[in-house]
Amino acid sequence: MIKPSTSFRAPSGLVVLGLAMLWGVSQPAAAVGVVAGTEIQNTAQVSYTIGSTPVTTSSNTVAVTVAEVLDVVVTLQSATTTVSPGATNQVLVYRVTNTGNSSEGFQLTLNSVLGGDEFDPVPATPAIYFDTDGSGTLTPADTPYTPGANDPVLLQDTFVTVLVVNDIPTGLANGARGLSQLEADALTGTGAPGTVFAGQGANGTDAVVGTTGADGDATGQYVVADITLTAVKTSTVTDAFGGSRPIPGAQIRYQVVVTATGTGTAAGASFRDPIPTNTTFVPGSITLNGNAVTDSTADADAGGYTTSPVPAVQVALGDLTQASGPQTLVFDVTID
Amino acid sequence: MNKGTLILMGALAALTAARVVAAADPAQAPGPAAGQGCISLKTVAQTEEEVLNEQGERVKRLAPAAKVVPGTEVVWTVTASNVCGQAVGNVFIDNPVPEHMRYVASSALGAGADIAFSLDGRRYAAPEQLRVRDADGSERVARADEYTHIRWTFRNAIAPGQVALARFRAVLK
Repeated sequence: MIKPSTSFRAPSGLVVLGLAMLWGVSQPAAAVGVVAGTEIQNTAQVSYTIGSTPVTTSSNTVAVTVAEVLDVVVTLQSATTTVSPGATNQVLVYRVTNTGNSSEGFQLTLNSVLGGDEFDPVPATPAIYFDTDGSGTLTPADTPYTPGANDPVLLQDTFVTVLVVNDIPTGLANGARGLSQLEADALTGTGAPGTVFAGQGANGTDAVVGTTGADGDATGQYVVADITLTAVKTSTVTDAFGGSRPIPGAQIRYQVVVTATGTGTAAGASFRDPIPTNTTFVPGSITLNGNAVTDSTADADAGGYTTSPVPAVQVALGDLTQASGPQTLVFDVTID
Repeated sequence: MNKGTLILMGALAALTAARVVAAADPAQAPGPAAGQGCISLKTVAQTEEEVLNEQGERVKRLAPAAKVVPGTEVVWTVTASNVCGQAVGNVFIDNPVPEHMRYVASSALGAGADIAFSLDGRRYAAPEQLRVRDADGSERVARADEYTHIRWTFRNAIAPGQVALARFRAVLK
C-alpha cells in the first residue's frame, strides 16, 4: 500500500499548496482507493508431477498500473448568510476536496449571476481567498486566489478551505436572496464520467474522469435581513399610602417590552437595564413574559440581577424574530 | 546411494532451475523444447467492457486491462498448457490475490478443479473451513475479501496438448 507522504512539499511555483498544507489541508485518508501509478502485480504458480517428479513453475508476471481518477467535491461550509443592503466583503465558506486517487490541481471559478434569487451578489476584488489561517473568516492572513497562478494542488483525499467574498447591492428589500456558486475543475480535464485523458494521469497513466465529472460546485446564499429591536420602558409608582407619588419607600415597577421588527433573526438578543440611582432592586421581582426569573445570573433561567459593574437587571432573550412577538420584562425597585 | 543416482539428481535439479527461469521470462516463447517444463503457465489481466453487438444489444466482453481505477473489477485468467508429449498429474495452480485487490466472492472458476482458499498462503481450505478471530475474541467464517491466496487442484491429469484454465475476479481497492 502506498501511503501519501505525511510531510507535504509544494511543487515549485505552487505556493498555495505549501500554505494550505500548513493549516491542515491533510485529513486522514478515507479510502479514496489505491493511488494512481501503483503497479498491481500478479504471478501464478503451477505445481505438478511428471511421472513421479514434482515440478513447480511460475507464470509470467502481469503488471497493471492503476490509472488516475479525476474527482472533486465542493461543499458549502457556511449557513445562509444574513446581510444588510450595501454590505461589503460578505464571506461564504466552501471546501474543495480531491476525491480522486492522485495529486491534482484545480481551477476555481465564482459565479454570482445565477437564477433563482432576487439579487446578484457582486464579487469583491479579489473574490476568492484561501482560508490560510484556518479562521473561517476573511482576515489579512488569507491568500487571494489567482487562476493559473496559485491553483490549489491537492493530494488525494485532502481538501482546501476557500472563502468567497461578495459585496451586497444597495436598495434591496427584506428577505431578498442572492446566490453565489463556487466551481472547481480538475486541471487535467473534466467531462462525462469515464472520459479518458490518455497518458495524462500520474506517472504517465491514463487519467479517467470519475463519477463527479472531475468538476464540482456548491452554491451559497445571502439573504437580506433588516431586523430592528425596539425596547419600550414604562414605570408605575406605588407609594406606601396607596398613592402614586415617588417618595422614599415608594415602589417603582418597570416594564420593558422588546419587539423585533423586520426579517431575519436577531441572534442571541439580550437586554440589560441598570437600576436607577437612589433606588434599590426588589429581590425576586423579575418576570419575563409573566414567568418568574430568579435573581441569580448563574442559574439556568434567562436572567437575574447583578451588581457588577453597576446594579442592573439582565435577561437573555435568545434568537428573536418578528414572529417571536413582544418580550415583556418586569422588575421592581424601591426609592431610597 | 550410488554414484549414478547422485549424478541423475544433480541433472534433475539443473533441469528444474532451467524450467523456472524459462517460464518466468515472458519474452521467451513457451514450447516443448528439451530442458523446459511440461506446463506453460500464462497469466492475463482483463476487464469487462460493454459493447454493442450486431443486433444492437449491449453485451459484455473481456478486453486487456487498461485504465484500471479503484473499484475496477479485473478478471485474472491463468492458463496451464501441457506442452510435453506426456500427461502431467497432480496439477495445482496457486495464485495470490494481488496486493491492493479484493477477491470477489464466488468468482473463482476452473473446470475440473477443486478450488480452495487461504488466509496466509500456507493452509488452504474450503471457504466454510476458513475461520478468523475478531478483535473481541469471537470466531467467524472468513469473508471472501479476506482471502489472500487461491488454489485450483485439478482432479485429472492434463494430457499432452490440453489446456487447463483457472480464473478469478478481484476488485481494485
